[in-house]
Parts: sequence; C-alpha cells; structure tokens
Amino acid sequence: MMRMRSSIRHWIEAVLGTVQQSERTRLLAKFSALGLVLLASAWLSLHAGRGDLGDAALSARFVALRLHRSGVAFLGGAALAVAGVVVQGLFRNPLASPSVLGTSSGALFGGELVLVSSYAVLAGAAPFGLSAEMLMPIGCVLGALLSLALVLGLAPLRASAVALLLTGFLLSSLFLSLSELLKSLVQEKWQLLRVMTTLSLGNLSGAGPKQLALAGVLVCGSAGPAWLWSRELDLLSSGEEEAASLGVDLPRLRFWSVVWTAFLTAGAVAVGANAVFVGLIVPHGLRYLFGYAHRTLIPAAFLGGGTFLLCCDALCRALPLRNELPLSVVTGLIGAPVFLRMLARLERGTAQ
Amino acid sequence: MTAVGSSLSAHHVNVERSGRRIIEAFDLCAAAGHVTAFAGPNGAGKSTALKALAGLLPYSGSIRIGARELRRLPLRERARTLAYVPQQSLLQGGITTRDVVSQGRYSHQASWSVWRGSLHGAVERAMLATQVMGLAARRWDELSGGEQRRVLLARALATEAPVVLLDEPTASLDVAHALRFLELLRQLAGAGQTIVVVLHDLQQVRRYADRAVLLDRGHIVASGTSAEVIAPERIRQVYGVELEENAALGYRLLASDSSERPL
Repeated sequence: MMRMRSSIRHWIEAVLGTVQQSERTRLLAKFSALGLVLLASAWLSLHAGRGDLGDAALSARFVALRLHRSGVAFLGGAALAVAGVVVQGLFRNPLASPSVLGTSSGALFGGELVLVSSYAVLAGAAPFGLSAEMLMPIGCVLGALLSLALVLGLAPLRASAVALLLTGFLLSSLFLSLSELLKSLVQEKWQLLRVMTTLSLGNLSGAGPKQLALAGVLVCGSAGPAWLWSRELDLLSSGEEEAASLGVDLPRLRFWSVVWTAFLTAGAVAVGANAVFVGLIVPHGLRYLFGYAHRTLIPAAFLGGGTFLLCCDALCRALPLRNELPLSVVTGLIGAPVFLRMLARLERGTAQ
Repeated sequence: MTAVGSSLSAHHVNVERSGRRIIEAFDLCAAAGHVTAFAGPNGAGKSTALKALAGLLPYSGSIRIGARELRRLPLRERARTLAYVPQQSLLQGGITTRDVVSQGRYSHQASWSVWRGSLHGAVERAMLATQVMGLAARRWDELSGGEQRRVLLARALATEAPVVLLDEPTASLDVAHALRFLELLRQLAGAGQTIVVVLHDLQQVRRYADRAVLLDRGHIVASGTSAEVIAPERIRQVYGVELEENAALGYRLLASDSSERPL
C-alpha cells in the first residue's frame, strides 16, 4: 500500500516534478495554455454546424449530439497524436506515422469485412444482440488485433527496428490491397462503398455515446501505459546500442510500443477518426513547444492531438457544403503544407 | 564513485558478425585502478572487442566482471556494472545536458518509477567530475565536440559503474582537449575505477595507459605494460612504420593548466 502510494506520487511528479523550478512553471503555463485552447475549441465545436442552439425544443438534443461527437473527435485525435509520438520515438524518425505498423489498415479492413459480410449474410441485421451501428467498430478492433498478432508474430523483435518497420509496411500494403479487393467486389452496392469510404477517410457524423465509450476505453487504456514507457523512449533517442548499454530492454520496448500503437490506432479508426497527418504534424509542432522529453510530450500530444481533431471536425461541420467533408480532406489540406515545410527544414538540417 | 574494485577479464573470446570472425582468441585482464588501452590499425577489431566487453555483441568464450560472467548479468545490472561511451553518439538534439547525464541513472530506477535521476547526487558528482556543470541547461546539439565527449563521460559516470569502457574518446579532439580528457581518465583510475579505452594515438597510449593491448586483424599481437607494447619492433610489425624514440613532436599540458581553464 505504501509502495503504491509512493509510486502514484512519483507518477504525478513525473510530468512536472523532476525539472528545475523555473522550467516547471514554464511547463505548467504551457499545459494551461493548451488546456485553454482545448476549452475554447470545445466551445466552438458545440456551436459549429447546422441547427440553432437557441431553439428551445431541440437545443438539448443538439448539445448532446455535438458533445458526443466532440468527445469522439478529441479521443481520436489524441490517439493518433500519441501513437505518432510512440512510433516516432521507436523508429527514431520524426517522419514515421502511426499507420507504419499496419494496424490502422488492418483495422480498416476488419471493419469493412464485417460490414460487407453482415450485409451479404444477414442483410444488415446484427447477430448476438449487438446493435448494428457497433458491428463495424468491433470489426475494426478485431482487424487491428489481427494485424497486431501478425506484426508481433512475423517481425523479429530481437533483431532490429528496421525489420519491424518493414514487416509493418508489408502488412499495411497487404491489408490495403485486401480492402481494395473488397471494394471491387461490392462496387455495385454504392451505399456500402459510401460507408467504406467514410470509414477510411474519417467522418464523425455517426458518433454517439457507444462510440464515445469504445474510444474512451481503447484510447485512455493505451495512452496511459504508453506514457509509462517515456524514459525508455527518451533513452532510445541516443540510438539502440547506447540505449541497450544504459540498460533498456529493446525487444520488450518494441513489443509494448507496437501493442499500444495498435490499440490507439484501433480506437481512432473504429470510431471514424482515421485522419491523415494528425500523428505527424501534431507531435512535430508540440516538440517545439514542449521539448523532446516523452514524459511531457506524450501528455501534450494527447491534449494537442485531441484539440486539433476537434477543430478539424468542427470545420467539417461549419463549412456550408451539401455533404460534410471527410476528416482526412481537412487534416490533409492543413497537414500537407506543414509537412512539406518540415521536410524542407530537415533537408536544410542535414545539409549543414 | 561507488563500487570500485571490479576487474574486467576476458578469456578466449571470439566475436562473429554476419558469419565473419572479427575477434579471435581475445584475452584480457583489466585491473581496477588501471587504464588499459587498446591500440591497433583501422579494422583491427578494437571497437568490436570493446563492444563485446560491454555486452553489446554476442560472443563465445568468457567475459567476467570480478567473478561474474557477463552474459549472465541481467540488463540493468549489467548497465550498473559496465558503462560504455561510444565513439560517436547518435543522440538526437533538443534535450538538455542535465537530461543526457540523468539517462545514466536509468538502470538504478525501478521499472515504473519516474525519472528522478536529475535530482540524484550521482548526476551532480558526475557533472562536477567532468566539469560540465556550466552546461547543465544547454541543449545537446549546441555543444562542441569536446563538450559532447565530456557529457557522454558524465553520463557513463552517473551509472556509478566500476568499469568504464570508452571508444576513441580523443578522436576529433584537439591536442589540449585530448590531453585534458586523458588526465581525467587517469584521475578516475586513481580513484579505483577500471578504465578500458580504445586509442588511436600511440603517444597517448604510452603516456596515459598503464597497460596496453595491441590488436591486428582480430588477433592480439602484444599485451603488457604500455611501454612493452608500444615498442619499435611491434609497431613496425603491425603498422609498418618506424617508431622513432624521442624524435616525434611531444606534448604535455602546462603545469598551470590543470583545472582553472574550462576543459
């Protein structure tokens, strides 16, 4: 009991406790600022979209709908950004994205497969007393678990991070091809195709309390443990050999990083928050503000990624278009220019 | 520093990398309180031997710290026993000197305890010993080559390991910085640590090492006191150059230069 209490105290001190006093104040200020931005975005998100909150008969419904949707957007963005930080730390490469391990394309394929087979076999009815809207998310989680099992089973975790990266890349292409195969098989059923496209490009219009609960469990249940690997990820920034000489168990670090990344991406994809670039640009921007230490970068990515996707989703709703834009369109339109700038900067860095 | 007095010994060690034998029948006895230097031409296997001794490469044969076999040591315990300073660190910028040195405390912390390393006395002592206190808040990528060397040594000392292995720490250092760095290693040995260091400069070996091992193509050509090993006939045999006693330029630090000037 004593030990547990002291370790909880240590955890709390982990974020802010070990740095110098002035540094601690500065970090606190930065986290507070991030919190304020989050609150402002949440307020904006509640007021974005069609439907007037002044309407007394409907405003409570609108608020509930938008609250659920904002919550899902926040959790999805948080998951992608934290997963980005973890894989970038693992591969020591700021350009690695959470999808490199193949788990997000595995999740997509799982969701699509369940969707198509339930349509073909059950004509849309859900078995085992499950609600129909949850079939696809559950398929996504199962797909992510399948690709997780494959990547852990096939990649020689003892050998090197490069082998892991290659395995993930190959699995990713495999699942993407399977998805395309599925799409070509059902191309006459345009409603199915539409749902599949929505899933792969990200759209939160279907987000409700169940999606919120699913994302909450998956995302919080894996972002927290991922944060506990901060020290190992910090040490890995010195290279694998130095990290090993300082006592880091590399195979174990690789194993758990892959596991947490899989659950994080599964959480994001399953609730329709599969948006490109969030896992790249959010960690990149936050490194300037919060530094490179993972003990602060991971919580910052959780808040920052969530806020970013919350804003993007609000933008999707606020744009006066007949159909809502997919999330990836918005994040990509913001992300690509930022990403190009990042590449140019890296180029200049290596040229010096 | 704590836990002094562990010797490092190797008996008939072979190291293979991708099927090729890099080190063959390597024997070593590095005693506590001594500086032991590895010398030899490029490609002789000095760095490979050092990495094997650090437990970073698979090997056959026996490597012992005191009475304990290296490959039986758990990872963290190994990191508390042997500190390794690489020739070139792959450290990515953006983290402060104090954080780099604190990394040395990792192996002392419990699995889920937090990073309280920077508060630990060993970090302060290591930074004082290597005179990097003034750099504590500076970013790693803003440091000069000489400063980076000393910060890496500080990280190794923060582990409080009795054995410190260094791979060419004086490469890319100017003459004065190199000599000051070697003086520092002598002080550490004087305090009872076991220092094993790969050196390219034979003069440095002769002057700063107690014992030397001369390697060529994966084999030990000579081992003994540094004066015995760095002898004309050996150098001719291994490097194909003539060692001219007392003919080359020699350097030594000025007497006034010990500690007032920053390293």
